[in-house]
Amino acid sequence: MAEGGPARRRREVVVALARGAGVAAPVLGLLEGGRTAALPAGEETDMAVLQAAVALEHQAIALYDAGLGRGLFPAGLRVYAVEFRGDHLGHRDTQVAIVEERGGRAPEARRDYLFGPLGSGEQLLRQAVEIEGAAQQAYTTLISQIRSRDYLLSAAFILVDEVRHLTVWRRVLGLRIY
Amino acid sequence: MAGLPVLLAPRPAEAQEPGSAAEVLDAIDEQEADVARRLRALSEAVPAARAFAGSLLADQERHREERRSIRRRLGLPPGAAPPAEGSDLRSLGALRSAQEALVHAHAEGLPALGDSWAVDRLARHMVELARHLAVIDLWIEAEESRG
Repeated sequence: MAEGGPARRRREVVVALARGAGVAAPVLGLLEGGRTAALPAGEETDMAVLQAAVALEHQAIALYDAGLGRGLFPAGLRVYAVEFRGDHLGHRDTQVAIVEERGGRAPEARRDYLFGPLGSGEQLLRQAVEIEGAAQQAYTTLISQIRSRDYLLSAAFILVDEVRHLTVWRRVLGLRIY
Repeated sequence: MAGLPVLLAPRPAEAQEPGSAAEVLDAIDEQEADVARRLRALSEAVPAARAFAGSLLADQERHREERRSIRRRLGLPPGAAPPAEGSDLRSLGALRSAQEALVHAHAEGLPALGDSWAVDRLARHMVELARHLAVIDLWIEAEESRG
C-alpha cells in the first residue's frame, strides 16, 4: 500500500535529520524504506545500528546543550530539558561502550548541527519534537534488526525513554498525545 | 566481559532476564488485563478520564489481536484467560505502576521472541504503551500541581 502524505513527510524528516546527524548509508536506506526493508542479520548490522544510534544521540545532546546554554527553555520546562539531556548522555555512553566492547569505534559528535531557527522557546520545542520524533522512529524501525539479546534489551529501554521525551514536548506544544 | 552491555544498559535494576516467547506473551496478557481493569474502574469514577481510558482500551484490543497473530506465527497455543484480581483499582498511582510493568514486560520480552517480525510488532506496541505511561505521568503531575 502506498504511504500517505503525512507518513511520507515524517519519514523524509527522519531521514534528513539522520543524514544531518551523520548516520551512514545502510541504515539510512532502511529508514528510507520503512519496515519492509531489512539488513542482513549479524554482528555487522548490530554495529551499523549502534553507529546510527550514537550519531542520533549526539545530535539530541547538541540540541539540549544549545537550548539550555542560551536559556531558551521556559523556566518550568528546564527540569524536563535537563532530565532528557541526561537520558541522552546515558544512551550515548551505553551504546559507545557496546561499540567499543565489540572492537568498533563510535562516531564522534559533529562540530555543527544544522538545526532550524532557535530564536524562541517555541522554535526550540518544535525542533525538540522533530529530533525526539526522529529518534523514536529510528529506534522503532531499527530495533527488529538487532540480533544480540543484550543490545536488544538496552535498545528497548532507550526507546521507552525516547517516547517519554516526545510525549512531553508534544503535550507542551498542545499536540495530540493519545 | 560478555555481560558488560547489560550492566551498562539504562534500564531498571529490577529488569528480568526474559524467558520463552510463550512466557513473554502470557506475562503481557496478564499485565494488560490488570491495566484494563484499572482503566475501567477509573473511567467509572472520573468521567473526565473516559475518553483517555477508552482510547487506551481500544489500543489494547488491537494489541491483543496482533499478539494472537504472533502466537500463530510462532506456533504457540492461545493464551489463557488472565486472573481477574487486583486491589486499589481507582488509584492513579497503582494504574501508573501497572502500566509501567506492562511496558517493561514488552521491553524485557523482546529478546526472547527470536523472530524479527514479532519483535517489530511488539516494539510498536511498546511505543504506544510507553506513550500511555507518559500521559499517565503528566496526569499525575497535573493532579499534584493542583494539590
